[in-house]
Amino acid sequence: MTNINHKTYAMNAITPMKWWKTWIVRFFFFILGAIKPLQKDLIQLSFIHFARWVIVKRTGFPRLSEQQPQEELKYDYLIFFSNFNGTWNQYIDAFSAVLSQGLNFIWRWSEKFPGSVPVTPFKQYIARCQFDTDYYYTAYPYATTNDVKAAHRVQAALEDFEKETAGKSPEEFKSAYLKFMITVQCDLGETGKAPIGT
Amino acid sequence: MANQSGNVYGLTILSPILEDVNAETSHNCAIRMKLASLPRDEHSPFAKVSSTHLARLVVMDDVVYVGMPSCEEHLKSQYLLFETNFDGGLDDYLTRMAHEIGSEVDAVWQHCHGYPGVQDVSAFIAYMKRCQVTTTFYFADVNDKTVGQTLAALQTQAAVARFIDEHQGKSAIELQKSFAEFLQKLKNAPTPVPGRPGSGGPPRIATQMKWGTRN
Repeated sequence: MTNINHKTYAMNAITPMKWWKTWIVRFFFFILGAIKPLQKDLIQLSFIHFARWVIVKRTGFPRLSEQQPQEELKYDYLIFFSNFNGTWNQYIDAFSAVLSQGLNFIWRWSEKFPGSVPVTPFKQYIARCQFDTDYYYTAYPYATTNDVKAAHRVQAALEDFEKETAGKSPEEFKSAYLKFMITVQCDLGETGKAPIGT
Repeated sequence: MANQSGNVYGLTILSPILEDVNAETSHNCAIRMKLASLPRDEHSPFAKVSSTHLARLVVMDDVVYVGMPSCEEHLKSQYLLFETNFDGGLDDYLTRMAHEIGSEVDAVWQHCHGYPGVQDVSAFIAYMKRCQVTTTFYFADVNDKTVGQTLAALQTQAAVARFIDEHQGKSAIELQKSFAEFLQKLKNAPTPVPGRPGSGGPPRIATQMKWGTRN
């Protein structure tokens, strides 16, 4: 399935919005971008490598030649792209459970959005608005977002440990090594093939 | 700037696809066939443009109709959607695409309106920028590390796990000596290859840890 490349799932969804409502969404995203603590829940979900929301105005679809027919649309469109770990159901469930207020702020301006809770109509809505990926590439197919973050912590700890133990006696080295192991012990999970999705 | 988060750039491109009722294979179908034939691992074209974290290409057939009382409407063109997340600046990235994966880019984008080809790099960059749609909100969980740094860190993580596993109970002298050798080996290891399934590039330092099953 092209939506999936090993441990990462590519999701695309497009929803129509009345043109005057897009300014509300833009304002919300401006606030979300400016006040980092508001992104806390998104960061804590910790299974999204990258995500983006793109508003395409009804007159904003690129027209590259005279032969290309001019679009005549009534709605602006909100396109959502996500690169996440896990299955579609896990993702939508987690979104609904953890980010329901944030999601409602973003999508309540889209036509017929049912709200992110209860989850069943929310899933039906996403499924209707989603379209499939034709080609998907990831530079680290066996690594989840948590793996990436843990690996960087190990790398930093190793560099610190190397500096700290330069010129130390074997006994001092061993003592520092034990501290190093304690520091990194929670970050040594192994990357590998993705489990079979359900 | 919403297209960027830290050091990572999120590029969104919408390229209108040609329509030719006389073509034996429609352009959107030709794009899909080409995309289906492209490798998705270390042989992917995007692995050659090594600053690419994740990238996708999608043929967007139409907008969606969500039901009454909203209005039903349709696009007059189909669009090739290119979404990519990479390190550094846009011009450098597009230049690398033109130079390093030009034939693949041509093979896909030749089915789009107004595509000039990659021979004239500045025309190619100008075309892509005309097709660019500004990101409204961009989220990158790790936005201060390059692809190379991430792959190297994953390789380090696997190597450290194996080292710890193999050196339990060693004397202080042995441990210090082995660790110095380990660090040297790690520093001399070849640069990991993007897109390769595994914990990094060759040689992969496989871990043999058996969580919860050790006797």
